[in-house]
Amino acid sequence: MASPHAEGRPGKEIGGAIPRFSWKSSLVILVVLGATGWSVVGTGFNLLELLTSGDPVGRFLSGMFPPDLSGAALQATGTGIMETFQMSLLGAIIGSIVAFPLAALGTRQNVLVGSSRTYRALLSIPYHLSRFLTNVFRSVPDILWALIFVVALGLGPFPGTLALAVHSAGVLGKLYGETLEAVPSRPVNALHSTGASGLGLFLFGRLPQAMSGFTSLTLYMWESNIRSATILGFVGAGGIGQQILVSMQLFNYSRLATLVAATVVLVLLVDRLSAAIRKRLVN
Amino acid sequence: MPDEGNKPVRGFALEGVTVRFGRVEALKDLNLSVEPGEQAAVIGASGAGKSTLFNVLTRNVPLAAGRVTVGGRDLFAMPARELKAVRRQVGLVHQAYNLIPQLSVGMNAALGEIGSMSNLRLIKTLLLGPDAGLTARVSGALDRLGLGEQIRTRTADVSGGQQQRAAVARLLVQSPGLVLADEPFAAVDPVTTDRVIETLAELNREGATLLINLHDVEVARRFPRVVALREGGVVFDGPPEQLTEERLGEIYAGETPGSVERGPEDPEVSGGVTPRKQDPARRLEGRDGLPAR
Ligand SMILES: Nc1ncnc2c1ncn2[C@@H]1O[C@H](COP(=O)(O)OP(=O)(O)OP(=O)(O)O)[C@@H](O)[C@H]1O
Ligand SMILES: [Mg+2]
Repeated sequence: MASPHAEGRPGKEIGGAIPRFSWKSSLVILVVLGATGWSVVGTGFNLLELLTSGDPVGRFLSGMFPPDLSGAALQATGTGIMETFQMSLLGAIIGSIVAFPLAALGTRQNVLVGSSRTYRALLSIPYHLSRFLTNVFRSVPDILWALIFVVALGLGPFPGTLALAVHSAGVLGKLYGETLEAVPSRPVNALHSTGASGLGLFLFGRLPQAMSGFTSLTLYMWESNIRSATILGFVGAGGIGQQILVSMQLFNYSRLATLVAATVVLVLLVDRLSAAIRKRLVN
Repeated sequence: MPDEGNKPVRGFALEGVTVRFGRVEALKDLNLSVEPGEQAAVIGASGAGKSTLFNVLTRNVPLAAGRVTVGGRDLFAMPARELKAVRRQVGLVHQAYNLIPQLSVGMNAALGEIGSMSNLRLIKTLLLGPDAGLTARVSGALDRLGLGEQIRTRTADVSGGQQQRAAVARLLVQSPGLVLADEPFAAVDPVTTDRVIETLAELNREGATLLINLHDVEVARRFPRVVALREGGVVFDGPPEQLTEERLGEIYAGETPGSVERGPEDPEVSGGVTPRKQDPARRLEGRDGLPAR
């Protein structure tokens, strides 16, 4: 029989999965509600406006039909799509090549038990340096990198590709590094215990175990790049975004419809393709 | 450094060794000395400090007090270079095989050599595979363990017993002077246990010192020297004949009865007359003379 005191003793029941009432949780709810209201006012968020101002919205939508399927429009769409695809692919490939050494250096080393403080400090210099670079590359959004490169190099897909490459290097550098560190450590430690060097541990201990993770992450990066590549054109960095911007500015909504539809198809196709490759490689 | 081929045999000694993990004292003022070429079995209840003893001998845990010498040199005082050289001569067998599952069986065996590879050779091996000499030694070791067919198979795709044998093949390639085996037979089929014991015995005959941690007291009795740990200290050290029921009771006191693996029959009437499937070491004794020297 259970202890007679177990029932009704406060603080000992298990309770449900949802937090009970407490001053702390009510305060959190109040703060979230307040921040929501503040943001609604700040952004002028008004769904009613979307419904009542039917005129411009309707004009925009009806302007899109029928889509412009003339030769000129199709050619512009084709070039834009191709360029977007090439930018995203090159960005992911260059990014992964740069990310690899960054991640390798940014992985914590197996340290010998009883090694000196200065030795440890020396080991940590390349680690912190590569971590810092990775963070800079990653935390600046790709569209900002694109702006920077457009200012430095002029308009076109080249600065856009560079922007994607730098941002991808940062994101992949971090994710590769995390994969390398999360690898099962027992086989790695076993090699360390038989006298393997740092390079040996990396090449034969961590890398083989992380490889399939790398492939899958690189494919995700490519998917994410194809989405980014569609808007880099808004700041003049090439791709289909540039065509979209021009059509908008000229109120050429029927051509816009063609461009947007082609973009959606491209993104969906790349998602499918990448998922198929990933499935094959990982299994 | 002339470390190819014949490696110097390594004895070791622990003097007053204490190891702490937070408040837990895993080893307490432990004294143990094993001569080059000797073989000894380590027994003790769960948590007695057996694995910690092995980790101390590879300098994988820091000492709180005491001294460890391997081959006459202070293990915890030596510089990184020398430690690497010592580690190259220490072979490890674990219950969990510690192989890289994505690499081929052959490559995993070849990694027995990793401690003596230069950076250039590491990269060459990564890109082109092991060189001719190493390949010959790897296939020789795999053949000896009946794994010749699996040399190119991904390690993750072979059976558990084959993985354990691949781990022993790595040991053969390394050809160490001191072998530390931490429960190598747990959860492994009798045929594999046979092979592992045979191989360890062979390495010992070739001159390697052998320290083996065993859960099964009856298997431990086959060794000329048994060391028992309890609460981080040595409570028995001597030939198996002196390991009486009373002594065993002290060693495993407080342990739940089920966790001590002992043969159902009287352990004294052995000698390989009635080979039993679950105890291949017993069968082996008649043939190979392990552990008699
Ligand atoms: N890395 C660690 N961190 C914290 N405590 C540890 C660590 N390693 C061992 N211990 C503790 O030290 C004690 C001895 O552990 P050890 O692994 O040496 O026991 P063992 O004799 O090998 O036991 P088993 O037969 O169950 O493997 C245990 O109390 C264990 O919890
Ligand atoms: Mg253990």
